[in-house]
Amino acid sequence: MTLMKSTLCASALVCVAGAVAAQDTTLTYMLWSTEQVETEAPAIAAFEAANPGVTVEVQAMPPADYWPRVSALAASGDLPDVMAMSSGFVQEWAEADNLLDLTPLIGEASLEGYFESAVEIGKIDGQQVAFPQNWVAPVLYFNRSAFDAAGVDYPSADWTWDDFRAAAEALTLDENGDGTPEQYGYWVYGRYAQTDPWVFRNGGRYVTDDGSALEINEPAVNALAFLASIVDDGFAPRPQELEGIRQQDVFGMGMAAMWVDGSWNIDNTRNLVGDSFEWGIAQVPMGPDATPETAVAYAWADMLAVTTDSEQTDLAWALVQHLTGPTLTAADFTGGKVPAWTATAQSEDWLGRGQQPDNMELILEIGTQPLYTGFTRDWSAWRGYAAAGSGGLNGELDEVFNGRKPLDEALAAATAYGNDVLSR
Amino acid sequence: MLPAIVGLMVFRLIPIGWSFALSFTSWRIFDDIEWVGLSNYAHILTSPVSREVLGNTLWFTAMYVPGVMIVSVTLAVLLNNSLRSSAFFRGAFFLPYITATVAVTLAWRWIFSTRFGLLNHLLGGIGLDGVPWLADPAWALPAVAIVSVWKDAGFYMILLIAGLQTIDPGYYEAARVDGARPFRRFYAITLPLLSRSLFFVLILALVRSTQTFEITYALTNGGPNRASTTLAFYIYQNAFVHFELGYASALAYILCFAIGLITLLNFYLRRRWVHE
Amino acid sequence: MNDVALRRAPALVALYAVLLAYAAITLMPFAWMLITSFKESRDVFRLPPSFVPTMLQGPEPFGNYTRVLTQHDFLLYFRNSFFVSTTAALGQMATCALAGYAFARMELPGKNVIFALILATAFVPTEVTIIPEFLLMRGLGWVDSFLPLIVPSFLVGSFGTFMLREYFASLPGEYGEAARIDGAGPFRIFWRVYLPLARPALISIFVIAFINNWDELLRPLLYLNSPELRTVPLGLMRFVGEFESEWTLLMAGSVASTLPLILIYVLGQKYVLQGFAGGGVKG
Repeated sequence: MTLMKSTLCASALVCVAGAVAAQDTTLTYMLWSTEQVETEAPAIAAFEAANPGVTVEVQAMPPADYWPRVSALAASGDLPDVMAMSSGFVQEWAEADNLLDLTPLIGEASLEGYFESAVEIGKIDGQQVAFPQNWVAPVLYFNRSAFDAAGVDYPSADWTWDDFRAAAEALTLDENGDGTPEQYGYWVYGRYAQTDPWVFRNGGRYVTDDGSALEINEPAVNALAFLASIVDDGFAPRPQELEGIRQQDVFGMGMAAMWVDGSWNIDNTRNLVGDSFEWGIAQVPMGPDATPETAVAYAWADMLAVTTDSEQTDLAWALVQHLTGPTLTAADFTGGKVPAWTATAQSEDWLGRGQQPDNMELILEIGTQPLYTGFTRDWSAWRGYAAAGSGGLNGELDEVFNGRKPLDEALAAATAYGNDVLSR
Repeated sequence: MLPAIVGLMVFRLIPIGWSFALSFTSWRIFDDIEWVGLSNYAHILTSPVSREVLGNTLWFTAMYVPGVMIVSVTLAVLLNNSLRSSAFFRGAFFLPYITATVAVTLAWRWIFSTRFGLLNHLLGGIGLDGVPWLADPAWALPAVAIVSVWKDAGFYMILLIAGLQTIDPGYYEAARVDGARPFRRFYAITLPLLSRSLFFVLILALVRSTQTFEITYALTNGGPNRASTTLAFYIYQNAFVHFELGYASALAYILCFAIGLITLLNFYLRRRWVHE
Repeated sequence: MNDVALRRAPALVALYAVLLAYAAITLMPFAWMLITSFKESRDVFRLPPSFVPTMLQGPEPFGNYTRVLTQHDFLLYFRNSFFVSTTAALGQMATCALAGYAFARMELPGKNVIFALILATAFVPTEVTIIPEFLLMRGLGWVDSFLPLIVPSFLVGSFGTFMLREYFASLPGEYGEAARIDGAGPFRIFWRVYLPLARPALISIFVIAFINNWDELLRPLLYLNSPELRTVPLGLMRFVGEFESEWTLLMAGSVASTLPLILIYVLGQKYVLQGFAGGGVKG
């Protein structure tokens, strides 16, 4: 497909449909979001209408069930034509030869309309094995009303760690004097989306450049020590104190005035906060060990991939284009999921005018910076994720934040475990 | 008998034999299989993590098995009568067993919550300091054991009531005439005559104690810092989070070997304490 | 505790005190679930927690239930689950009865070894056998049908076999002797003499097998593709989102999915107790 042609066919992929001889065929498509099925239904109906004779069979299940299911299908050679693929697993899945290299299908077509850095995430060893549909990045959530009440300036792009600490201190309020603040300045536990932005924005790394071993460098240690000191100083609660409250609700319920987590929490925070206070988002402060060149932004993408089990790769790729390009509208992306198609992301609809936060552009800005995902093989094990979320680095950092273990001991244990997993 | 054996051969033994063979391989389910000989086993036996997990499993079994036996025997003895209300209580106590684990564990998370939990609230009421049940490595596994006992006790209770119903009331009458106190009657009549059911329940509870993972998953996710990760949950993590099916299989066969030994020992000891 | 002991009032009071206390502990999480199923979703995680089923005072007291039943095809899921659980449980009951009887009452070479083998299969966690089983079922062309959910549990139940072996072994051998003297063959002895006596145990096995099959998620997840084959646990999965779950609907769906189990239990318990009362197997 030439550049001109692809521009002409920009919206509905009618000409792709013409190019693909389609008789009565079924295209299978699996994804891990049960909500997404409903939002994508019109787009899929449009695809079927544009490709007479083609039926798209969609199956969705929660992430914890999706991966066992597709793994079993990979083992039996029955993978769907198109499957949702995460940044965390794309490398292993590509190495296992389950994902088709899309490069020949893309051909000369321009990918200009997409966030370049998001497209890059789907590129493994020079092969485009997955294509971004949306991407997300952790941001610093802050409670504007609380900042105003405490007379503290809002976070700015040139905020230092010291500024952050001073704000966290000023925002920690124990008005009834019972020793337990009603409002903490900050809230953090060992979860990747909460700590790792600080690490990467300080030039820190957990793994070697080739991702084959854990090697937690000095800037990473410093960033984690900084977070631990915020907790030790009482400006953030010990995570165990809040056990039983969902971590994503702490900020929205006004129990902490600042919080770092993925932009996907914007929806939940909107629902929770309503009009009870004003809030905004900011970029996570850059650390003292970093320069603007080494302070990478942490972001990753949800992608679609054509599998090597697919027997109708042209049609499958057409569906991928259809579900990642301009046909999806802003309403198809929940909360802080950023459309990989730039024009949709920049639309007023996606920017959510009239809703909090009023500065959604900030996320788009992050997308133009150099990104780092930090994923390796077995990331879920050594980082501690999903049903393994209590182990690895996550579990060790929680011990630190709960004041039960010194940081160096915890990191040594996490490194030993991680390297054992990676060397297996 | 023949159909059972045939079914066993095809639908259980083939997958079991297959997974046993897999325990000598390195296989990520979505990737190629590689033969690695005994290295999975060697790794498991030397890794500090699997030793920690094994320790957790033993500790869990030590809490769960006696706990669930005591509770279910007590309930069964109390409810083995023809009072009308007993049918209600039997039903009430059986209810946890049939309630969807994930949904009901959410209620337990709230009960164990550090600040807003019912349990710490009650403890505070009698002047005791609460603990962060699910976030403290010392308390998370006991919490999982409590919920597991709560969930299963009613089921064992029903099996035990079924056993108790086979005891001839005449024995009790005779004992009363001889002037035996209630506890004496329990030791002298109930326990020996119930021993066959008790043995069955014991085996069931032992096996279940090594296979619980749904409650762990929904309650603590194996945490904090792996403190409530038992072997079954670790196998689940390896099989369905890391997809290391070879390694998970090796773990499973070590587990089988252990339960198998315990069960054999039980069958051997059975001759001494089970009243045939 | 037998009925005689309960004739004394203090014993009765103590009994009720203990039972009521334990019943409160037992029922509370379930009550919480029930209350949550009558809440608006924004009230679920409110702090401090509230026990008020807010929707009951509203215009749509059963809103969550009607949403579950009308927006999703739950009646179909219930029918599917019912079919799968019933056939699997009936099959398991039948095969366990035969196997249990054979192990308890018949002289077979190597039967202890075979029995140990059957028992041992229960020790292997499903997580490691499920993928090989999936590949086996795929080889048989059974994927996307109910067969993989029914047949394996239809044919094998380690604990059912164990339980019935215990049960048949506990029955007096004289019954069989008497029948044999009357000229009955081994199958006839089993069918006419022992099987009726084992009714309570058989019903227990049916109830347990039904419950276990009803809750099964992993197998339906792997084996079923077609929407019209979905079972209840697969249907409930639709309320679990990528970041957020629809807890009120999940609770309403979970409560609704528990109802058939309660029914099975209530019916089953009645027959189990009747079976014991009328079976003449005291002592």
